[in-house]
Amino acid sequence: MSLVDLMSMAKPNLESRDKILAKLKGIELVNCYQCMKCTSGCTALKLLELKPNEIMKLVNLGFVDELPSSDIIWTCVTCLKCVQRCPQKASPYHVIMALRNLAVEKEAKVPEGFLKAVSQILETGLAEPPQKIVTRKMETVDRECLKLPKIKFPKESFQAAFMKAMEEK
Amino acid sequence: MARIGVYVCHCGLNIAGVVDVEKVAEYAKTLPDVVTVKHYTYMCSEPGQRLIQDDIRAHKLDRIVIATCSPRMHEDTFRKAVAEAGLNPYLTEIVNLREDVSWVHIHEPERATEKAKALVRMGVARAKLLEPLEKHKVSVEKNVLVVGGGIAGIQASLDLADAGFKVYLVEKAPSIGGRMAQLDKTFPTLDCSACILTPKMVDVAKHQNITLLTNAEITAVNGFVGNYEVSILKKPRYVDEKKCVGCELCTKVCPVKVPDKFNENLTEKRAVYIYSAHAVPKIAVVDPEHCLRLKFDKDVCGKCQIACEPKAIDFKQQPERIQVKVGGIVVAVGSEVFDAARMAELGYGRFKNVISNMEFERISDASGPTSGKIHSPKDGKTPKTIAFIQCVGSRDKRFHEYCCRVGCMVTLKQAILAREKIHDNVRIYVCYVDLRAFGKGYDEFYTRARNMDIDFIAGIPSEIHATTDGSLYFDVYDKNTNKLLQIHPDLVVLGTGLVPNNDLAKISALFHASRSADGFLLEAHPKLRPLESAMAGVFLAGACQGPKDIPDTVAQASGAAAKAIDLLSSGEIELEPLKAVVDKDLCSGCRICESICPFVAIEMKPETVKGEEKLRAEVIEAMCQGCGACSSACPTSAIKIQQYNNKQVLTQVEAALAETCAEGGK
Repeated sequence: MSLVDLMSMAKPNLESRDKILAKLKGIELVNCYQCMKCTSGCTALKLLELKPNEIMKLVNLGFVDELPSSDIIWTCVTCLKCVQRCPQKASPYHVIMALRNLAVEKEAKVPEGFLKAVSQILETGLAEPPQKIVTRKMETVDRECLKLPKIKFPKESFQAAFMKAMEEK
Repeated sequence: MARIGVYVCHCGLNIAGVVDVEKVAEYAKTLPDVVTVKHYTYMCSEPGQRLIQDDIRAHKLDRIVIATCSPRMHEDTFRKAVAEAGLNPYLTEIVNLREDVSWVHIHEPERATEKAKALVRMGVARAKLLEPLEKHKVSVEKNVLVVGGGIAGIQASLDLADAGFKVYLVEKAPSIGGRMAQLDKTFPTLDCSACILTPKMVDVAKHQNITLLTNAEITAVNGFVGNYEVSILKKPRYVDEKKCVGCELCTKVCPVKVPDKFNENLTEKRAVYIYSAHAVPKIAVVDPEHCLRLKFDKDVCGKCQIACEPKAIDFKQQPERIQVKVGGIVVAVGSEVFDAARMAELGYGRFKNVISNMEFERISDASGPTSGKIHSPKDGKTPKTIAFIQCVGSRDKRFHEYCCRVGCMVTLKQAILAREKIHDNVRIYVCYVDLRAFGKGYDEFYTRARNMDIDFIAGIPSEIHATTDGSLYFDVYDKNTNKLLQIHPDLVVLGTGLVPNNDLAKISALFHASRSADGFLLEAHPKLRPLESAMAGVFLAGACQGPKDIPDTVAQASGAAAKAIDLLSSGEIELEPLKAVVDKDLCSGCRICESICPFVAIEMKPETVKGEEKLRAEVIEAMCQGCGACSSACPTSAIKIQQYNNKQVLTQVEAALAETCAEGGK
């Protein structure tokens, strides 16, 4: 291999890189010219130190082995600003999603919150469970006292379809 | 029986590195009527050409087949060489072994060699049917039309006029000067733009060979190279050009205020106005869209008419139609600046202190709205922090993919001007992706900017925010320090790029000049014919062909003028004989060819045959470019391209199919 990261002695894995590129139909990852627009505006940067531009460059160079098992790819809050504003249509969000899919394929550790969300959807059809809230007058209210209709939970056919879709992916 | 000579060129290793040229030459010897075959390293070189010429004389050759690079490259070279040896130059057939074979089949040399053989076979078969042709001469008008009165049009006009040609310079605006007239200083020397432009503008007005037509537009272009007929519409100024002295008494009394486009809408002008401080001609003009008298068509207002001492205001002025005959045309209509409001995240149009670089030019210009003092538009205060943001609308697939080629240098200049004008009391930040300072003296200019304590931040902000008190801030990640920085600027200047002129669709249709994918006008060849359009006699100058700075624009304008002089100076031009010809007996007058011809080279003429009036197609030879569209569309095969008639083409096709089962041709 002609390229080595002297800090970690890591070498590019072009096979995995091709796998990611194949997942990115229509996303022009290789065109990224590091203008920093994605990182400058990244919602997850200030708190969680996500630097989309760094991920873009690492994937472009082929340093992809560390990424699926790293925590950083799970910090993206999917605000999609980078998709909208990327001048090269290189779309860091889609690259991060491809890395997440690769992580699941490789059975790397997926943060608990994501697994919880999946079972939540499977059970209730909702990403978040219905909650009670506190108003400005400090009254605790729920759907019933607001006279909102009861939430219908999904039928078994939904769960079957959901499981099937997950397996296909 | 033809006597054919076949010459295979190695083109160094360009062809011979892939194609087995010796095998191709051996194969050519087996073809019928081939008398001699040679291969050589560089056929286009002097010894290579002499090889062909000697053979023509020694072997009494009457057809020459040269297997070499694209005919666009050297067809002319070889035709000339053949003519020198006493043979009609049109008895030469070029077979393209480079662009069509070696360059595209670089990884399969054996099959490339087979393809080369097949192409040579086709060339030899076709060569037998070539006919000797003669070039025709037509006389030309020694006048030139220049469209657009920016620095490109001004330079081209002056060069042409100095060379003794009569020039019609047509400008849409009420004054010449164009974009350059709006600029404060020019990079990399910081010459004052007006100081170097205004004398040229005056020269144009005074030159006895130049007819200056401002406030005018081209409405129709007919004819052909050397003999164009151009219709010009001169819109009414509602001011008598001969009487107006440019005293501006009228503008002082006009009650209507209109945003001033020359000042990038930062100030207001009146409905009767003088285009700019340096306008040429310095004659007032009434804006018919806003003038109360002209809008309401009644006896309202008329204050300017009363105020004007020389009685120059004339509301009854009518549009004037002017017809001119010219030999050549220089298109120099320039470009527009990108509308940053389209890039919503930067807040241009929402935040008053976010301005375009054109607005900065006006603010910095001594004759501009602030008399050259750098002020933030919102509060009129001197900014303490200025941020420049690069590549706005350029290098961006959402808007324009190309680099605007001037943005970096414009920003460096403006940053330096800001430092010179506000001294040490301002922090200046330039947010960039790549900084391109490629021209003569440009990188030194970049160094000068760094020496003046201008901070360069390698990163572009995602969005610009305003706090509740209206002050601006943005986050930008600097890739050099790996830090997320927040900047609170009092003035943000957007490095907006150059985009195709809004009129370019109209211009392109008028002059039959095609456009490239980026929307600018397309040159005939990106490297070898950058000053010409595909339409003979129509030349391109300046930013209408692609974004350009002033030095490049002036260079191209002088070049285009020289090209026009070259074309017209002898008073006549030679036309390629590879044109369409009509067999009148076969023509049914269906007009399909007329509708299909991209060069408007076909005219339908009535003719009386046996007492019946019929339409017949006729080719205007000077306009026909020999593209062959008419020939393939003609239902009766009445229209043919010289040297590409059905028999000549079909023989070639037959030769292509003759040995499809030969070895390698799987």
